[in-house]
Parts: sequence; structure tokens; C-alpha cells
Amino acid sequence: MSISLSHLTKRYGKDAVVDDVTVEIPESSLTAVLGPSGSGKSTLLKLIAGLERPDEGRVVIEGDDVTDVDPRHRDIGFCFQHYAPFRHMNVARNIGFGLRVRKQPKDIIDAKVAELIELVRLDGKAKSYPAQLSGGERQRMALARALAIEPRVLLLDEPFGALDALVRTELRQWVKELHRQIKVTTILVTHDQDEAMEVADQLLIMHEGRIEQSGEPTELYERPATEFVHGFLGPTTMFKGVSVRPHDLELVKPSEGAIEGTVQSVMELGFEVQVTVALSDGSTPWVQMSRNEFRNLDVDVNSPVSIRERV
Amino acid sequence: MDTPARPPSSERGAPPARKGWRRFSSRARSNFGLYGGASLIVGYLSIVVLIPIAAVAAHGFSFSIQTQGWGAAFWHWHVSTGFGTFWHDITQPAAISAIRLSLWLSLSVAAINAVMGVAIAWVLVRDKFPGKWFLEAFIDLPFALPTIVVGVVLLFLYGTASPLHIDLFETWMGLMVALLFVTLPFSVRAVQPVLASLDGESEAAAKSLGAGGIRTFVWVVLPSLWPAVLGGFGLAFARAIGEFGSISLIAGGIGRTTTASNYIYNLTQGFLWTNAASVSTALLVLSLLILIATNVYARRIQRRLAS
Repeated sequence: MSISLSHLTKRYGKDAVVDDVTVEIPESSLTAVLGPSGSGKSTLLKLIAGLERPDEGRVVIEGDDVTDVDPRHRDIGFCFQHYAPFRHMNVARNIGFGLRVRKQPKDIIDAKVAELIELVRLDGKAKSYPAQLSGGERQRMALARALAIEPRVLLLDEPFGALDALVRTELRQWVKELHRQIKVTTILVTHDQDEAMEVADQLLIMHEGRIEQSGEPTELYERPATEFVHGFLGPTTMFKGVSVRPHDLELVKPSEGAIEGTVQSVMELGFEVQVTVALSDGSTPWVQMSRNEFRNLDVDVNSPVSIRERV
Repeated sequence: MDTPARPPSSERGAPPARKGWRRFSSRARSNFGLYGGASLIVGYLSIVVLIPIAAVAAHGFSFSIQTQGWGAAFWHWHVSTGFGTFWHDITQPAAISAIRLSLWLSLSVAAINAVMGVAIAWVLVRDKFPGKWFLEAFIDLPFALPTIVVGVVLLFLYGTASPLHIDLFETWMGLMVALLFVTLPFSVRAVQPVLASLDGESEAAAKSLGAGGIRTFVWVVLPSLWPAVLGGFGLAFARAIGEFGSISLIAGGIGRTTTASNYIYNLTQGFLWTNAASVSTALLVLSLLILIATNVYARRIQRRLAS
């Protein structure tokens, strides 16, 4: 189901946390709202869910204006950052909560819960309590609980924020796969650009309550509309007075037609090597290259090198 | 390898398995050294609580106390005869009626205040209103006030010369009002911090899943508060059953409103030390049983909730 937000504004006191946001989120997309902390992305999510009321603007889900609809009648699946498990209920009862609220017959609830437990791969954990689950399992339980009500829209607030690196990567892939299976329009909020680029098919970059740019990840990366998007979506370095991607620069043996400088520092990060070069004008751009390129260049700290833009 | 490899029980990693004494001693270790912490508590409790209680219990079970004095009671403690005396003392109609009155009053007071405690704690935690700080302080008043002062105030307010024209003198309702007042802080303060620590996310989750206010409270909030409510219930009950000062005046002097504590006091006024000790012992055992029961139950729930 498509979501359209028009002129959505939320103020706390005088500060607009969400400032005149107008955007269309396509049906069945997996959209990542990306921005630094305090950019208003979580608030935007809560406005869509109805957990916060906007001061101005409308929220329309599939042609339905839900701005004044109570959150419990919006049919939105919401996953909280810390999963908000019901600690006194076991996994099965947590997942079945929304169905019990809707007074579904017991056998239908049981069947649905069993199906979801399989979908989120919590087999054998139906009788466990949240306290007995790992972070990743709790996250998947929260997802199943949100999906149980067959929501029109799924909203995930920093879904991988509280997990350790290994589990996080695994879950990202899994969420992407899950979305391919169930195709429900999903919006996730994150401050991690790698995560957003990897998981989402649509990006929405927020900064100080406003939307800086939205579109497909590659498009935004290659054609950032603002300096902020450019800086936020990947590493940047200053070269000849403009901001460029460090992998768009290259180092060569001192030669004519290129700017000369000396290697100031070398950071080897496994496959990637970052070399900072001191130029005569006092600037110190850094260059991102592969390990092989670095080997072939054969330089060390204080070696003279030339720097130029890749072609 | 003599021990089979164990798969990790969680992502955080399980501590290595220990056997026998090593496992036991590692569990018993504390900041005060092995058993240091436990002996500190037991030692202190012995001096201030256990020895006096034992003395009263021994007193209750002993028939020879009046002729041989306090110290001798310990050494001439004939359990069979002693128990007979004890049973005789606590099955006096007056004793039974006093204990029964204390029990049902205390249980109802603890139950009523469990409900009111949650309601008041809810208002104190979730609502903002002018004069809240005063209400916060007022709740603790029964802690600070000498209970006999409460008794005097209640007698003035609800006595035969009540300015409100509500005469509760020598009625169980008078006793109940007094007990509700003195036990309220236990009920409120047990629940309040737990309620304050709830982050509201679970409630928002329940809401987004379609639950209304009442259902969210009953299905989601209340179960998280249960251990605290039970703890408050236990404390309020214990306080109510032992309360003397605040109820002694409004109870008047008739048998119908004589609580166990009042009855014991009356016995001591007639120098019936053994009878007093017997009834005290019975009261003590009852209180202890109820405290243990609420504690065990609360712990069982808590274990499931704890992460």
C-alpha cells in the first residue's frame, strides 16, 4: 500500500522536529529513512503510526486519510527499537496478541502463530519467554508480532541498532529476503548508511526535520542533490577545493600533469587502504584504494607521489 | 577431554560449567568473602529480631514461666505440656475472635490498598498537576507520624463527637480507616518505582496492535506490576496485623473491636504473660506465613520477567 505524506510537521515547543515533509512512498517498497540522530526520522515514523500527532499535514495510506485515526485502528505493524516485548507472555502469546485483541477464534490464532513462528525461524521457541531469547530472536519475535495483524504497512524503528555486528548483517539479509516474500510496504529508520544502502530499494535522507532527497540508493549516491547527502552517503575528501569521493582519486608515481605531494600516513584496513597525501597548498586529501593498487604503487610514508582524479 | 563441549546457551556466552563444591562456592561468593555477607545478615537479624522472637515463642510454649522467671523458661521448656498451654491460650473465644478480626481486617486493608496503591502510584508517575509535590510528601506521612497521633486524630474526626457526623467509634470501619491510612505508603511506594521504570514502549506496541486503554492496562501494564503489587500487599498486611497505636483509641473497650494486638496488650495489663506470649506467637507465625507466601509468589513471577 502506498503512503503519502503531505506537509507533515511536528513541533516540540518552538522546534520543528519534522518540518513540512511531503513525500510519496511507493507500494511494496522497502524504504529506508536515513539521517543522523536528531534529524526527526523516528518522529516521522511515529507520525505515520499515529503514536505522535502532527501539528500540521496529512498522512494518507492507500488513499485513506488516517491523520485523525487512532493508532489502534490504522492496521500498521510497528517494531520498536528495543522490540518492546511483553515480558510476561511467551513467544506464541506475544505473536498472537494482536489477533486476540481482534477476538479471532482460537484455532485460527494458533494456526497463524505457528505459521509466523516458522516464517521468522523461531521454531521450538514458542513456549520461551522474551528473557530467554537472544537479541536477534527478540527482534524476529517483534517482527512476527507486528506481521500477525496483516498490517497494511510495516514500520521498523532502528531495527538492527541494538544487535552486535555479526547478527546485524545476518538479519539485514533476512529482512530483505522476508520483504521479497511478503511484499508489504515497509519503512525502516536507520542512521547507518551502509545498512540503508544494502537493505532498501528506496532512500529518504532526512536532515534537521526536512527531507534532503529521496530516490533509489544508487541514484542518490551518484547524483546527490545537496552537499549534505553527498557527505552523508559515503566518505568524502577535499581536493582542489571541492568535496569528492576518495575512491574517485588515484595516486601515481611522480609525473607531469598531476599534482605532486608526499605521503603523510597510510592506513591498511584489510582489502582497503587509505593513503593521506600532503600537498604543497597545505591541503591533505586522502585516497581510497585496493590492497593490490597500494602494493603496485610501492610507496611509504614521506614518499613523493602524484595525485589526480580517476578517469 | 573429560568434559564434553557445551554449546553456548546464549549469544552473550555462558560461564564455564563447574562441578560440585567449586560450583557451589562460586555461587556463594560475595563482597564479604565466602558466607561473609550471609553471616552478617543472619548475625544482625539474630540480635535484633530472631532472639527476641525466640524468647516470645519460648515464653508462649512454656508453662513454668510464672514460677521460674524468664531465664529459667529457656531451660525448663517442656514442649508437650508447653504446646498444650499454647493451644489452650490461643483457642480462648476472646483470643480466636481477636485473631480472626485482625486477620480479615489486615487482609482486606492490604487488598484495598493494593488497588488504591496502583491507582495513586499511576497518578503520581503519569500525571502532572499543581501541588503534586505536596501529595508525594503526604503519602509518606504515616511513616513519620507516631501511630498514637493517628489514633487521636481519627478519634477526633470519627469519634462519638465527630465534627463530620461520622461516628465510627467502636466499629470495624473505624479500625479499617486507621489501618488503610497507616499502610498506604507501603502499597504506593512498592509500585511507584516499577511503574516509573516502564518505558511506555510496550504500551505503545499494544496500542499499535489494536489494544485499547483498558486492555493495554490489564494485559500489558498490570502483569509487569504484579510482583511489586504483591510485595506491597505483604508489607501492608504485616503492618496492619501488627498495628496498635492508631487503632487502640477508636477501638474503644468492647470485645467486638478488640484486635489481636489490642488483646495482647489487655492480657499484659492483667499480668497474663504466658497468654500474651502464646497469642503473640500465633500472630507471628501467621504473619510470617503470609510474608513468605507473597514473597515466594512474587519471586516466581519476577524470575520469568527478568532478563
